[in-house]
Amino acid sequence: MNTEDNKKLPILSVQSLHFSIGGTSILNGIECRIFEGETVGVIGPNGSGKTTFFNCLSGFCMPDAGEILFKGTKITDMPPHKRARLGIGRVFQNFGVFKEMTVIENVIVAIESREALWRSFFPWGTQNKRNRSEAYDFLEKVGLHEKAEEKTSSLSGGQMRLLEIIRALAFGADLFLLDEPTAGVSPKMKDDVAKLIRLLQEEDKTIMVIEHDLNFIEGFCERIMVIDVGRIVLDGEPDKVRRDPLLQKIYFGKDANEKTL
Amino acid sequence: MDYFIHLLILICIYTILAQGFNLPFGAGRLFNLAHVAVYSVGAYTTALLSTELGVGFWGCIATSILLAATASILIGGISLKLSGDYFAIGTIAFASVVSALEINWKSLTKGVLGIPGIPRPDIGTIDFYQNINFLALAFVFMVLCQICFYIFFNNSIGRSLKAQAEYIPGAEALGKSTKNIKFFSFIAGSTAASIAGSLYAYYINYIDPSSFSLTEMIFVLTIAVVGRPGSFWGVTISTIFLILLPEPLRFIDIPPSILGPMRQLLYALILFFVVYWKKDVIFPVERRI
Ligand SMILES: Nc1ncnc2c1ncn2[C@@H]1O[C@H](COP(=O)(O)OP(=O)(O)OP(=O)(O)O)[C@@H](O)[C@H]1O
Ligand SMILES: [Mg+2]
Repeated sequence: MNTEDNKKLPILSVQSLHFSIGGTSILNGIECRIFEGETVGVIGPNGSGKTTFFNCLSGFCMPDAGEILFKGTKITDMPPHKRARLGIGRVFQNFGVFKEMTVIENVIVAIESREALWRSFFPWGTQNKRNRSEAYDFLEKVGLHEKAEEKTSSLSGGQMRLLEIIRALAFGADLFLLDEPTAGVSPKMKDDVAKLIRLLQEEDKTIMVIEHDLNFIEGFCERIMVIDVGRIVLDGEPDKVRRDPLLQKIYFGKDANEKTL
Repeated sequence: MDYFIHLLILICIYTILAQGFNLPFGAGRLFNLAHVAVYSVGAYTTALLSTELGVGFWGCIATSILLAATASILIGGISLKLSGDYFAIGTIAFASVVSALEINWKSLTKGVLGIPGIPRPDIGTIDFYQNINFLALAFVFMVLCQICFYIFFNNSIGRSLKAQAEYIPGAEALGKSTKNIKFFSFIAGSTAASIAGSLYAYYINYIDPSSFSLTEMIFVLTIAVVGRPGSFWGVTISTIFLILLPEPLRFIDIPPSILGPMRQLLYALILFFVVYWKKDVIFPVERRI
């Protein structure tokens, strides 16, 4: 499917990924290759296995069969934190921010993960000051610096999304797995999320983003994959995917009320 | 005056014990109900080594820490595989094994009769039978432990611990090995418990299984809950407060046989009311991936 882009190396390649829970199979042989610097939209009906696919990529689900290569390393059996350290950044569908912490602490936690433990061992050490100001700089990029010392639970849904994405950037992720970053986000904030995704693109990050709103992701995705019953059924440029009769069948054949498309 | 010094010594010992519980429980949401069992391992090790083998202070402290750490690796290794409530149940199981051993392994622990005649520490020429000197020793240990825990609560370890307590996948997604972090907090807490146990045995000169019962665990839990779990200063202050709280009862004219149960009742009531009013702080809602 991805023959157009043979010059670049795939940062992620997935081969016949299978996953099931209690006898129900959820992923039925997912195959794909994602290239460095690409922004790929992932769409599909509710319950088609998009989140589960991301869980398999980031290590929260262990596949029954198949292989995942990230930056040339086989990560199929790796625990989540090791995959994260290789550069996989996950943004969760139902908010992965730490709500009890302050906004800036959420970013500091991410920055501290990059460095050796002893560097920020003493709370009064200079490294902590440096991390704090670096975290502040990251917050400025998404306009959350004024809320830095506030408790994260006081943020709106959209602001939490921004925080979680910028936190993954502060952590140093190269591949961003964004699971419905605009779910529960006000229309105005949706633009901010889009802006942030463009910022990631400027930094040459690879992005996979699950979305229901095709119009929204078309703005910045060069490629769209459609997942249905645990399989990638369509994969290509947004225009081609949108016109494909199969897409209409998947969405409108099953659920004529799906208005987001 | 001696009574005052006695209370201060207790405050030092319990601060170490409670802070050791507070790190995994408060910051990490690890409900370690074997904390007092580990405390008893420290106390018994010191009591047995000093009475039976005449081992000196540093030898006893070091061996107590080593044994308590081993015990905590055992408990942790098994219980940390369990999550949430099941972890608590796993640690209860361990605690009852320890207490069963202390009561029934009579050839070693003398069972419910306990171990009398534990000498005070022997460091240099200082006379630790003078309570004021013992207070100085307990105070030094308390300060050292407090410094360590202050660091753990406020550095990257503490933040990772709080992060995993809130949302394990979130912490893992940021490259944190939540298993190692939990283990660390557990071992640090157990080390503190064993130091507190050693000091307790040295101070009271006599230990028996009743000093390490469920009541004691409830007391430690009450300290942590009243001080607000995870709060370094909160737990420090609530230790002082809760140790001093029942003391006025002494001066009222009630028989000692009622005094003990009254204290227990008081702590249980406090625990109940704090948990009732503040349950969302203590037990947060769980989230899915
Ligand atoms: N822990 C679980 N136990 C049982 N079934 C599960 C579990 N997690 C997911 N599933 C099932 O797997 C299927 C795929 O779920 P998944 O969350 O991956 O879908 P999705 O494409 O992300 O849907 P949505 O658009 O609603 O987020 C669903 O039918 C769901 O019911
Ligand atoms: Mg989903």
